[in-house]
Amino acid sequence: MNNEIWIYAETHNNLVMPITYQLITKAKEITNNKKIVVILFEGLNDNLEDLIKEYGPDEIMIYKNDFIKKSGDRVIATLLSELVLLRKPNSFLFGATVLGRSISARLQAKLNTGLTADCLDLSFEDDLLIQTKPSYGDNIMCEIICPNHYPQMATVRPNIFVAKKDLNKIPLITKITNLKIKEDKNIKVYEEKPLLSKGDSISNANRVIAVGRGAYNQKNLPLIEELALKLGAKIGVTRPLTDLHPFSVDDQIGQSGNTISPRLLINLGVHGAVQFTSGILKSELIISINNNPKAPIFDYSDYSFIGDAHDFIKALLNIFQ
Amino acid sequence: MNNNRNEADLMLHQMVLDFAKKEIKPFDMIIDKNKDYPKELWNKVLETGFLGLIIPSAYGGANFNPVAEAETIYTIASYNASLAFTFEGHYKTVNQLMKYGKDSLKEKYLPQATKRVFGFGSTEPQGGSNVLGISGSALKEGNHWILNGNKTMITNGGLAEVYLVLLKTDEDEISCFLVDDEMPGFKYGKREEFFGMRGTPVGEIFLENVKVTDEHLLGSLGEGIEIGNNAHYDARINMGAIAAGIINHALEIVVKYAKERKAIDTPIIELYSIQNKITEMAIAKENSKLLFKEAAQLKLENKPYAKLATMAKSYGSRAAFSSCDNALQTLGGYGYSSEYPVEHLLRDSRALQIAEGTLEKMVVEISTMINKESE
Amino acid sequence: MNYHIVVCVKQVPVSNNLKIDPVTKNVIRGTEAGVMNPFDKNALEAALKLKERYGGKVTLLSMGPKNFEITLRGGLAMGSDEAILLSSRSFGGADTLATGYVLSEAIKKLGDVNLVLFGRQSIDADTGQVGPIVAEFLGWPQITYVNKITPLTDGFIKATRLMENMEQSIEAKLPVVLTVRSELNNPRYPTPRNIQLSYQKKITIWDEKDINADLNRIGIKGSPTVVRKVWTPEKHEKKTINLNSDPNQAVLEILEVLRAKNIL
Repeated sequence: MNNEIWIYAETHNNLVMPITYQLITKAKEITNNKKIVVILFEGLNDNLEDLIKEYGPDEIMIYKNDFIKKSGDRVIATLLSELVLLRKPNSFLFGATVLGRSISARLQAKLNTGLTADCLDLSFEDDLLIQTKPSYGDNIMCEIICPNHYPQMATVRPNIFVAKKDLNKIPLITKITNLKIKEDKNIKVYEEKPLLSKGDSISNANRVIAVGRGAYNQKNLPLIEELALKLGAKIGVTRPLTDLHPFSVDDQIGQSGNTISPRLLINLGVHGAVQFTSGILKSELIISINNNPKAPIFDYSDYSFIGDAHDFIKALLNIFQ
Repeated sequence: MNNNRNEADLMLHQMVLDFAKKEIKPFDMIIDKNKDYPKELWNKVLETGFLGLIIPSAYGGANFNPVAEAETIYTIASYNASLAFTFEGHYKTVNQLMKYGKDSLKEKYLPQATKRVFGFGSTEPQGGSNVLGISGSALKEGNHWILNGNKTMITNGGLAEVYLVLLKTDEDEISCFLVDDEMPGFKYGKREEFFGMRGTPVGEIFLENVKVTDEHLLGSLGEGIEIGNNAHYDARINMGAIAAGIINHALEIVVKYAKERKAIDTPIIELYSIQNKITEMAIAKENSKLLFKEAAQLKLENKPYAKLATMAKSYGSRAAFSSCDNALQTLGGYGYSSEYPVEHLLRDSRALQIAEGTLEKMVVEISTMINKESE
Repeated sequence: MNYHIVVCVKQVPVSNNLKIDPVTKNVIRGTEAGVMNPFDKNALEAALKLKERYGGKVTLLSMGPKNFEITLRGGLAMGSDEAILLSSRSFGGADTLATGYVLSEAIKKLGDVNLVLFGRQSIDADTGQVGPIVAEFLGWPQITYVNKITPLTDGFIKATRLMENMEQSIEAKLPVVLTVRSELNNPRYPTPRNIQLSYQKKITIWDEKDINADLNRIGIKGSPTVVRKVWTPEKHEKKTINLNSDPNQAVLEILEVLRAKNIL
């Protein structure tokens, strides 16, 4: 068992998913005596390592193949297990995405080791990876370890950690050439349809801007959309706005809409009726803006701004320029 | 008690609760406004097999007992009283077919009762539930009966397709017959427009020389009054359950509102005048539940249950009305507004003091029973 | 083709508002019985639909204590044909790997299974790992996060996998393991009649001897991961802090908070 932390690079077409960068940065933060190695499977004409190297891992191992993504989870897991058996890393981290969770669990079984899903935090005690995760619907936190099996595996939800570029580190690029992909004749991905609509719902969003009647007008809307883009936030609405363009019932937050549990929730012009607030109780930090000092939303907020939503949005946009 | 049955009752209870929360709750006010059940909801009711709840398995039913029946009604009434009232009308009628029908009639119609709603016709334009005033007639002709009459105020009239009717077969002799709306001579009359329970159709039927075989006579000749009374007692257990369900619904609304609503800085649930109302409603709910459950339990054990059933309806109907009135008052302007659910609960509850025997009739019946008991 | 579908189900606590006993560090479970994991209901509904359309048998499979029986009964009441509960003291304390091992051994013992369905994850543990682990131990391909199924004949199945950014359409030859999303279907209610009829169906209990389990791979022994600490995160009472009434000042204050909390 060597002292490497492996990270499976999750990619989609020509993009590297942010979770990959977030894992690299976190891995760098929690250790100074282990090598951070990114495992990248990409098509023959891709060069995604050029994007990944900006985040300064120690090494990027690349396997180029045009068909691998179409062959199902089993093939990817098999390839990864062969690599693991060659180099025997200390830990292996994946994003807690559909793909990450599906592949890592299969790999865990192949390697007969432990895997902790949905970690909210990771740290090292010497060579032991301490995995912190919620359980039972996020009301209980656990610390989990895998003391006798390797690699120690964990998946992490996107947007839990923050990614930071490190242009000072030039990673070693290793091309994997001696792996043979064994085609799985029993399974085939024959079509991939990108999702045009808001594919993942607001209930998974880590940052949310909630818009209420008090802030909904034609002047504010474009500003709110810009703010959402800058913050990487999803926009949700209170019930009365679900009939108003460009929103729909899918965007509703609350009792008969979505329950959200973002790290950051900004309520703009939201009154705070029980039907709404029951959907936001698990938000980590709630900032509410309303020009009615008696609005009940303030009883649910960590920080309150009594004033005009428009002014607040403009001020917030200013500091992001 | 059979352990298996206990677990089955629990599973049923959970299913009904899940169904009510998911499928019925969203439509409570809509049912009142549109005066009918949305097609999707009614289809789900049929698919889930609620109509066959009490029918023996051999006939395709679910074979649940009177306690499970009443508790199901209670749960449904906690989310929409009209639908519970529809079930009540159906079960009361099916109960009489189960108890008094000939085997051949049961074999023909109990399986149908799992898919078609049944209704009970006794009231006529001139008379209330006074069965002796009936003028509709059944005349014997060889092996058949020719039925004529006009029955009004039938719960589920128009939605139901099969009816039990009380008709005069001789001087001072009332008998009970089963008719099917597919029979020639069967006609539907008008639907009533009511103050509350607006989702439950209440309507009238006309029988013009409807011809039925002897098989369609329930029980024996002259047993009509007994069957009619039995139908009332069976109904009253469930009317008590509906009352308790309405109180349950109203209480939930009031508590939620009173915790949120503030008088200056105090949630009104901390004010004595509101606490008074809430306590009264909560106790009324427990009382109504105890009464209907006791009545159902007696029926299950084959003990006399008429008195308890009548008490359950008598008490429950008044308690439901005053609880809803309290709820309306607590919510003030919102209580009086048609955009909130409380006012239609009050209107729904009012029916319970009339349907299946008026309050006044309950008084007479209960004290008559007590009088008889002390002989 | 004759389908024998196994649906793996788990009983989960009714509510997620669980507290920790400060002395024993154990979760204080409520006295309410559990319910079937909601995603497992979607899996079961899919199995029942396949059975209705193509014939065959649906078997429920679960690993847990005896009180899981009521959940299995509920599954029988939805329409499954039979149920198997893997229950034994030595299964206790299992993590996902040990659980997957036990389930896969049971499926191997059944012998003629050609499709295994899981819900995508359980709402208490939330791992979503057991399905792929079972698939690996069985040596079968897997399709996870399925939101549409259109089976073909000739022993192939077509399913759509809903991911964050796209929908993959996948065709696989049976036998296969699927894990399903709630978008797949609306689970049917156990009808009153089926509730009664479920008591005529069998719940069989198997222990480690019935499945010939390797004792080193079950329960705590077979679990590489260990929970070393458990606690309830503090719920903060929200006493709101009023920001500066000048919006420009206010957003600077907010920025500081966001940085301190590592949100930005």
